[in-house]
Amino acid sequence: MNVGAEADRGLHYMTATAAAHAIAHKQLSPVELMKAHLARIEKLDPTLNAFIRLDAESALEAAHAAEAEAANGRLRGPLHGVPVGIKDIIDVAGLPTTCHSKILQDSLATADAVCVGKLRAAGAIVVGKLSTHEFAIGGPSFDLPWPPARNPWNPGHHPGGSSSGSGSGVAAGLFPMALGTDTGGSVRNPASCCGIVGLKATYGLVSRRGVFPLSFTLDHVGPMTRTVEDNALMLEAIAGHDPLDPGSTVAPHGRYRAALDRGARGLRIGFVRHFHEVDMPAEPEVTAGLEHVMRTLQMLGADVRDIRLPSLVEFGAVNRVILQSEAWSIHRDWLQKRPGDYGKLARRRLMPGAFFGAGDYVLANKRRLEMIAAVNAALAEVDVLLCASSMDPACRIDQPAEVERTYPRQARTPFNVTGHPAIAMMAGLSSGGMPLSVQFVGRFFDEAMLYRVARAWEQASGMDKKHPPI
Amino acid sequence: MDKELMHALARRAGLDKALAEFPDDVAAAADQAATVVARIKAPEDPRAEPWPAMKPGDGL
Repeated sequence: MNVGAEADRGLHYMTATAAAHAIAHKQLSPVELMKAHLARIEKLDPTLNAFIRLDAESALEAAHAAEAEAANGRLRGPLHGVPVGIKDIIDVAGLPTTCHSKILQDSLATADAVCVGKLRAAGAIVVGKLSTHEFAIGGPSFDLPWPPARNPWNPGHHPGGSSSGSGSGVAAGLFPMALGTDTGGSVRNPASCCGIVGLKATYGLVSRRGVFPLSFTLDHVGPMTRTVEDNALMLEAIAGHDPLDPGSTVAPHGRYRAALDRGARGLRIGFVRHFHEVDMPAEPEVTAGLEHVMRTLQMLGADVRDIRLPSLVEFGAVNRVILQSEAWSIHRDWLQKRPGDYGKLARRRLMPGAFFGAGDYVLANKRRLEMIAAVNAALAEVDVLLCASSMDPACRIDQPAEVERTYPRQARTPFNVTGHPAIAMMAGLSSGGMPLSVQFVGRFFDEAMLYRVARAWEQASGMDKKHPPI
Repeated sequence: MDKELMHALARRAGLDKALAEFPDDVAAAADQAATVVARIKAPEDPRAEPWPAMKPGDGL
């Protein structure tokens, strides 16, 4: 580990893995690392709006404690001294969980969410709470108490959402890792727009306790990082059964980095072309990016074949009916009594649940079971699926019509409906200098396979070395 | 969705205040709900089970 070289190019772009290694070997001070990130935040956050609440004082205090512990050879865990940002629908004890909404702007969390507690137990240090779309559904809105986060590749562009501050901040080097949540693609969308790595794990693998719900049966907590290895490291810290989360699974979890460097040779990859060629024709640059990923993996020795799944339009409809029905059950009282305290986008996206019948919800869940079977059948033929994430590069944030047009043009919701693990990452850059994206999807609880394929692409392409020009 | 029906459903859901203050948003939400269900293909077998299967918890 050459800490000098890391410092030369800026500690803010040091990976979590490298930082944890350097701290553990007394080559890097957690205080120095935290100060570098706080300086970066001070410089860039007035432009990026990644934070709703920066907790610099507590973060520095924790960094000093981590330094003292490391000096005495007492490491809390594999993330000792590494900064992490938390999406502001996830509870951090002593800080407000506003959900980026006037409705909850005065709320205060009295305990950490389980995922935050696990990160702290692994040694990570919380730097603050991050921008989201209002209640993780609204969209980039200018009628809320806080401005929307912006994309570090071009601050005039949307960073994706709803984990907007998480994506923007990780990409810009404000922190090396962040927690996001994903109900219809909200970890993978900002990962795609900001050119980082975002994973939605298998449903039930990461506890949702302490996370403000959007849709009980579609919500997932996910790690967001700049590299595949960091993502696996973070998942190792947060995965595991929680007996008090009704959706939590008792399935085994653990060493997601074990297969990282096994490469793509001999893997069977199913390419779901109809998503971006037929169901929602993608921008040509996106299509070219996906073809490039596919050919690269072939050259690395993977066997790629075409796979068909139900249409994106139907996946999207099933997601919407379930999501909005469940969200209505959460927001009904507030929408009845305080509709003016929501921003326009959230109000419009939360009220459809009032107009669905019980039969609509059951119909969607009947079709959901068939869709799960369809994806399972596909994954019996191949080891992993390759498909589009976003059909367009990130659009401008100040053009509501463009945001509205491009937002649903994605292939992420299918895997919230089915619960399969899915990872989104950079596939290249557009001619306009914005990230293009690719998505890999795996069998239930086979996140290690996703990381293996994603790492093979990352190493072949050098995508982890690309940073925004900010 | 027919305006009269939309108003009746909104009132049944307790959205009178939203209907008075944000009628366009209520109408947009109703339209969205009406169109999205039509995109779902009903399983051919009426006995098809929904997800998730009912499972006994600790309290049963």
